[in-house]
Amino acid sequence: MPKTYQANELTGIIKIDADKCKGCDTCKSFCPADAINGAYGATHEIDNERCLQCGQCLVNCPFGAIEDTVDVVDQVIEKLKDSNTTVVATVAPAVRVALGEEFGMEPGKLITEQMYGALKKAGFKIMDVNFAADNTILEEGTELIHKIQKYVLNQSVEGELGPLPQFTSCCPAWVRYMELYHPNLRQHLSSAKSPQGMAGPVAKIYGAEEVWKVQPEQIFCVGVYPCTAKKLEASRPEFTAAADYWKKKGHTATYQDTDVVLTTRDLARLLKKLNIDVRNVEPAEEKDNPLAEYTGAGTIFGATGGVMEAALRTAYFVLTGEELGELHFEPVRGLKEVKTAEVPIKLKENGQEITLKIAVVHGTKNVEPLLAEIEAGNSPYHFIEVMNCPGGCVNGGGQPINPMGTSWTGKFKAILPW
Amino acid sequence: MRYSYKEKEVKLNRREFLGFAGVIAAFLWTGAYTVTDLIVDRTKYIKMRTAGLYQDDEKQAKRQSHHNQSLLNMYKKMNFQPLSPMAEELFHTHYVDRSVL
Repeated sequence: MPKTYQANELTGIIKIDADKCKGCDTCKSFCPADAINGAYGATHEIDNERCLQCGQCLVNCPFGAIEDTVDVVDQVIEKLKDSNTTVVATVAPAVRVALGEEFGMEPGKLITEQMYGALKKAGFKIMDVNFAADNTILEEGTELIHKIQKYVLNQSVEGELGPLPQFTSCCPAWVRYMELYHPNLRQHLSSAKSPQGMAGPVAKIYGAEEVWKVQPEQIFCVGVYPCTAKKLEASRPEFTAAADYWKKKGHTATYQDTDVVLTTRDLARLLKKLNIDVRNVEPAEEKDNPLAEYTGAGTIFGATGGVMEAALRTAYFVLTGEELGELHFEPVRGLKEVKTAEVPIKLKENGQEITLKIAVVHGTKNVEPLLAEIEAGNSPYHFIEVMNCPGGCVNGGGQPINPMGTSWTGKFKAILPW
Repeated sequence: MRYSYKEKEVKLNRREFLGFAGVIAAFLWTGAYTVTDLIVDRTKYIKMRTAGLYQDDEKQAKRQSHHNQSLLNMYKKMNFQPLSPMAEELFHTHYVDRSVL
């Protein structure tokens, strides 16, 4: 068994096809973990022990030589045919602005209703991961607020809390990076699970009882994510909260919270196999489905700065007692590698003013200086968002491969003298 | 053997090679490559997808997580609060030291 994986975790998700590899080194320049071996010009190979399974090499390979080896499309189609199984698709924010590309639409086209329509036609029940993203904000935001009360305001707070600064834990590639390369700082990660980690238990507990009214064992939960690392995350052995919950109520089965994960590319392939085209499917709104309700804060989780912006909207309200006047928070938007901001907050209890210091990082390598500050004990920040993929999940390793993204000329320019 | 150092064979004759070299030299010398930067923004698709999400944010009637009524109903029906023992069980986790697995 590979030694940087827990038992039963999916490993080796990303592979380089030796016949197609030209040894161009593009993948190396995108790899956040220096996990690719091979001299320039020779066939490259991924060191699975170091790899985060993020798939950035895959979406940026100019030769299409890198593959996602975990293919569950046919398994999901089998489950959809089985009338005893309720197949629930939990769909992440970034999927709705990229799925259309696989069907010839322009990048960024927002097709939530068409996507719901296509999923329903294929036989899925729907849970929107944006609901779980809102859920994440309630948990992770409350955790942050408790830490501020404890460490900044010196109030007594019940329960076990990690240290500040708090890191977001939504991105599985970033979490694996922390666990693998900076395990001594892992207590800084928010203890809140990622939206995927929350969506599974919600679907198999609340969804089973209140929404679809079926036995939890009948639910087959299919995560749809813009991400290859989510395939690894779903297989984490501790992600069995729903089964553990039901065992206390007399059930015996053991299962993962999210059974399998499809990437955006996988979902497009599945829909095409079933002859469903999102361009001419009947759109669905899911107005009466509670697990498809979401707020604007939930949907921006898919872009860099989005988790931070969503958390601020709620944390500001809880601490000050007032809603943010302007919800659009520009300092955390855009493609600068490390974005920082200071947010003045006037506490509702006593009018005391504090300054919340935040940082947003995308591209995991860019987090190293911030980690060094924490090691040295002089990090100025309270809350730091990290997303592994440049731009966030919209540019995830499971997204449609867009030819604008290859870096051929970028590499080329790097060797020029001017 | 961890990886092969054997280079791929290139099927190119001498004339073709000189031809390509000439074209590339002319391309570099004229500085024509800089024009590609004006046309191609390699992060354009990232910006387009991001714009799609911000558009989705702005069209929602509710834009803060604590206003998601169905979510609040779930906490209410299951009778627990964020960060309570039940929430810890369902929605929180721990992390492992992967350097010593």
